Amino acid sequence: MASTVIGAGITVEGDITTDEDVVVAGTVRGKLSAKEGITIEHGATVEADIVGGSLTIAGALTGNVTATERVDLQSGARVIGNVKASRVTIADGAQFKGNVDMDV
Amino acid sequence: MAGSISVIGRTTRVHGRVTGAVDLEVQGFVEGDIAVGGDVTVDVHGMVGAGVRGRRLVVRGAVKGDLVGEEAVSLEDGARVVGDVRAPRVTIAPGALVRGFVQTGEAVESPSRAARPQSAARPASPAPAKTMAAPPARAPAPTPAAAVPAPAAKPAVRQTEAMTAVGGVTANSLPRRPPPPVVPALKKAKGQVAKRKER
Amino acid sequence: MAQTRTTARDADGRDARIGSAARVRGRVHGDGNLIVEGHVEGQLAIRGDLTIADGASVTVEIIEAHAVTIAGALEGDVAATGAVRLGASARVRGNLRGAAISMEEGARYSGRLDCEFDLPPELGGASRGETRGRTPARR
Repeated sequence: MASTVIGAGITVEGDITTDEDVVVAGTVRGKLSAKEGITIEHGATVEADIVGGSLTIAGALTGNVTATERVDLQSGARVIGNVKASRVTIADGAQFKGNVDMDV
Repeated sequence: MAGSISVIGRTTRVHGRVTGAVDLEVQGFVEGDIAVGGDVTVDVHGMVGAGVRGRRLVVRGAVKGDLVGEEAVSLEDGARVVGDVRAPRVTIAPGALVRGFVQTGEAVESPSRAARPQSAARPASPAPAKTMAAPPARAPAPTPAAAVPAPAAKPAVRQTEAMTAVGGVTANSLPRRPPPPVVPALKKAKGQVAKRKER
Repeated sequence: MAQTRTTARDADGRDARIGSAARVRGRVHGDGNLIVEGHVEGQLAIRGDLTIADGASVTVEIIEAHAVTIAGALEGDVAATGAVRLGASARVRGNLRGAAISMEEGARYSGRLDCEFDLPPELGGASRGETRGRTPARR
């Protein structure tokens, strides 16, 4: 399936909405909302509230995270914000500060 | 660089600016400025609602904004562009539709400098600096500007940038066109008057 | 300055031609096609197709023709009912209007292009009459 790639070196300041997957390796400031998966790669910087289906975070994120399916914080992730999803995993080595709400 | 191209996918809408030292492919909708150091391709389904700056621009979709290429701009069959086009090399294929000012052969400033159009587009002279400090003093004269300073400044800057670009071009400037006004303060007033006349 | 009127007639289906050594100052008008290889200054209004060859130069207020193909130098506006094509050796300063406008890589151009079309609705739809750039829309 087609996906949107915000590559390393790209900065998007504003709102992103999409029906497809999004991979962020660069910088996003604003809002990010996808129907499918969102992957925030190691090295990415996201200062935004993100809403998606299934979220995988390995980079830096400041903002609230809402997923309809699951949120996975991988080693190397640095997340400041609240996470709301029916399934949440935080891997060893991930840094996280915020609330987790799994009552969906 | 293989693999470093960014893609705004077909169903993706970006309401904001896109900048960076990379290549970009727009298959979806970008409503803000695009100013990147690499190549930009606007796909046949892509739409950009503001200006695009990059090294080489290839447009097959719709753009409502100026296209400025450091090296080249190529409008291919299917392109619909309302805006100015400026690059050392401009190619327009049959089937590309354009409405705007087109200029070839001009050295274009890099997007990093273009990120601040006010300083980049103006030739070095003390007068522009005075204009930047002047607006509060001049505000009483055009009342709409005083009431809504931010939107009023934006069209004035755009027109100023455009007119300065004409002044900067020597070899290609049209003989019939009147020389751009030298006084930047007058430029702003002229822009305002022109906007009123359009209504 | 002698004023000349030159009529280009399409005799036996062959194109009318202003040869490379010719210099015309005045008004050129006609029904057929015209190939300009020399120099024309003044006015150019023909019903057929106009070709400005490489090495030719035309300086007019405005060219009126069906299709216009330019490989030489033109200073002036073009109002074409057909396609306007600039070749790689073209050097053109002026505003162009036509059913389609194209320019090959290498063409040198400065002026305003005016095609009739609508942007998609997401970008504002019909934007005819909207002036972008420096020159006002011609009506």
